[in-house]
Amino acid sequence: MTTDAAAAGPAEGAASAGIVVAGVARSFGKVHAVRDATLTVPYGSVTALVGPNGSGKTTLLLMLASLLRPDAGRILIAGSDPVTDPRAVRAAMGWMPDILGSWASLTVRVTLELTGRLHGMPRERARRRADELVALVGLEALADQPTRVLSRGQKQRLSLARSLVHDPRVLLLDEPASGLDPAARVELRTLVRRFADEGRSVLVSSHVLAELEEMADAAVYLDAGTTVSAERIRRARTSLRDWRIRALDAAALEAALTRLGVPARRDHLGTLVGVRSETDAAGLLTRLVGEGVPVAVFTPAVGELEHTFLDLTRDAGAQPEIGSES
Amino acid sequence: MSRFLSGVGTVLALELRQRVRARGWYILLGVYVLLIGIVTLLLSLSLGTFAGGDAGSGVLSTIIYFVLLLGTLVTPALSGNAINGDRTDGTLATTQVTQISTGQLVVGKFVAAWVSALAFLAASVPFLLGAVLLGGVRADTALVSIVVLAVELGVVAAIGVGLSGLLARPLFSIVVTYLVVAALSIGTLILFTLAGLATQSTVTSTYRYAESIDEDGDPVCSAVQEDTYTIPRFDPYWGVLVANPYVVLADAVPTAFDDDGNPVDLFGFLKTGVRQAQIPPDLDVEYDDCAGEFPPSPTAQEIIERTVPGWFVGLGLHALLAGGLLAAGWSATRTPARRLARGSRIA
Repeated sequence: MTTDAAAAGPAEGAASAGIVVAGVARSFGKVHAVRDATLTVPYGSVTALVGPNGSGKTTLLLMLASLLRPDAGRILIAGSDPVTDPRAVRAAMGWMPDILGSWASLTVRVTLELTGRLHGMPRERARRRADELVALVGLEALADQPTRVLSRGQKQRLSLARSLVHDPRVLLLDEPASGLDPAARVELRTLVRRFADEGRSVLVSSHVLAELEEMADAAVYLDAGTTVSAERIRRARTSLRDWRIRALDAAALEAALTRLGVPARRDHLGTLVGVRSETDAAGLLTRLVGEGVPVAVFTPAVGELEHTFLDLTRDAGAQPEIGSES
Repeated sequence: MSRFLSGVGTVLALELRQRVRARGWYILLGVYVLLIGIVTLLLSLSLGTFAGGDAGSGVLSTIIYFVLLLGTLVTPALSGNAINGDRTDGTLATTQVTQISTGQLVVGKFVAAWVSALAFLAASVPFLLGAVLLGGVRADTALVSIVVLAVELGVVAAIGVGLSGLLARPLFSIVVTYLVVAALSIGTLILFTLAGLATQSTVTSTYRYAESIDEDGDPVCSAVQEDTYTIPRFDPYWGVLVANPYVVLADAVPTAFDDDGNPVDLFGFLKTGVRQAQIPPDLDVEYDDCAGEFPPSPTAQEIIERTVPGWFVGLGLHALLAGGLLAAGWSATRTPARRLARGSRIA
C-alpha cells in the first residue's frame, strides 16, 4: 500500500477523477456531522475512508450519493454536481449503503432485475445483467430465494451487486466488509481491486482497517467531520510504532534487546518494541541477527492504517484545535 | 412524458410485487368477500320480500356503501406507510439513487395503493351483478356510484401516500391517515350536529284547535293562541356535510323515485336527508284546525328538486386535499435532501 493522497486539492485533476470533494460541510441542527471534507479519488484507484464512529463518514457518503444536500462546499461525481444534476450523478455512481435493506418478499434475481429497470434498462437487458451479477457475487444458489432468507453476509453481497447494476464508473462502498466471512473478504478485496483496474473510482469506508489496507491505494482520514491534512498524517506516521518480534530462543532475544538498550514489552504473542520508521526497523533486525538471535517473526504489530488511525485519534484527544490546519 | 410513465410503471410493478401481493393481503380480501357475501344475502332476503321485483337498487346501493366503508378502513393500512415504511426497511434510498425521480416514486406508490384498494371493488363485482339480477337497477345509478366510489378510494390512497412521505414514522402516518378519513366520514357529521344544536332559533307558533263539534257537525274553535319555543338550526351548516364521502356519493348519484316521489335506494334516502338540511325551517308556524285544509308536506322528489347539489364541491375538496398531501409528501421526499425529519435516517 502506497498511502499518499490524503487531502489533495480540489482543482487538481478534476477531469481524471471520479470523485472530487472540496470544503464540504453538512450539519443537522446543532450537530456538525461534516465540517470540512476535501478529497479526490482518481479513476482507476481505491481510496479508503477512515475515521472513528461518528466522524461523519456515512454523512459524507450520503452527500456523494446525491441523497443529502451539502450546506457548503462542492462535490463532483464523474464530472457532475449531485445538487444541480443528480440524474447524471446517479447514472454514473453506484452506492452500497451501510444498512442492509432489501425488498423482503422478492427474490435475489428479481431484486437485481427491478433495480436495473429502475435505472431505466430495458427488461431483457435488466434480466441478463441480473444473471451476470448473481454470478459475480456468488449468490447462484440463492438466486431464486426471497431476500428475507439471506444471512447478513449474503445481504452484503446482494447490496454490492445492486450497486453495480448499471455498471457505474464511481463506486461508494459504505462498510462493505462487515458481516463477511474471511473467504468472502478476500473475494471482496479481489473484486474491489478489479473495479479499480477497470478504471473506476472507488471510495471504501470500513472499520476493518487491515482489510482496507490491502485494497486501498490511498486513505482519507475523517476526524470530527474534517479530513485530516497530509501534514498531520505524515507526523502520525513517523510517530513511534510497535513491532512484534518472536525468536526461537526467547531468553536470547531479551538479553540482546537489553544489550542493545532497546526498551521492550511482552505480550502473549511475543515481544513488542517501539520503532519510528521502517529504516529503524531494518537496522534493529540487522543488529539482532548480528547478535545471533534466531529471529522467527519480525513484523509491525498493527497495520499502517490502524497505526495512523490510532495515532490521529489519540492526537485528537490531546489537541483541541484539530481541523484548523486543513 | 412516456419516460415519466414508464418509470411510474416500474415503481407500480415493484410495489404490487413486493408490498401488496403478500399473503396477508389475500387473507384480507378473502374475509372481505365473505363479509360482503353475507351482507348481500341478508339484504336480498329482507328487501326481496317487501320490495318485490325492484329490490336490486336497494341492494346495490348498500353494497356500494359497504365497499366504501371497508375500502376506507383498509386503504390507510395499505398506503399509510408507502414511503416511510421503505425508509424503515432501508429500501427507499437505494431506489432514490436510481434514475427514478421522486415524482415517479410518489405517483407510482399512489397508483399502487389505489389499484390495491380497487381490488376490493373488483372483488365485489359478482355481488353487484347479483343485485342487478334482482331487478330495478338503473344503469346511470350503478355507473356513477361505482365511479365516485373509485375516486373516493383514490382520495384515501393519496392521503395515505402523501402522509407517509410527510411524516417520519410509519405507525404515526397510518394513524393520521385513519384520523383524516374519520374526520371526513364521522367528524363532519359530529360538527354538523353540534353546530346545529348550538344555533337555536325561536319559533313563534300561532294556533287554534277544534274544542268540540257543534250540532251541525262543524268544529267549535278555540281562541287563537301564541306560543314560542326554540329549535336547532342545521341549514347554515349543510355545507359541512358536503365534505363527507358518503354524502358525496349519495349526492352525486342520479336518484330514481317511485310513484309517491320516494327514492328507491339508499343513495336517494341519504340525499333527501342531506338536501332537507338546506331548507330553513319555518319560524312562523301557523296551525288552524278550523281552516279545513292542510298543505301537504313536500315529497323527497320535491325536496331534491328545490335544493342545490353539493357533491362536486365535496369531491373537489377531497381532490385538493389528496393532491396537496401528495405534493407535500413529494416535497419532503425529494433528494438531495435539504432537511430531514426529526429522528429520521435518510437511508
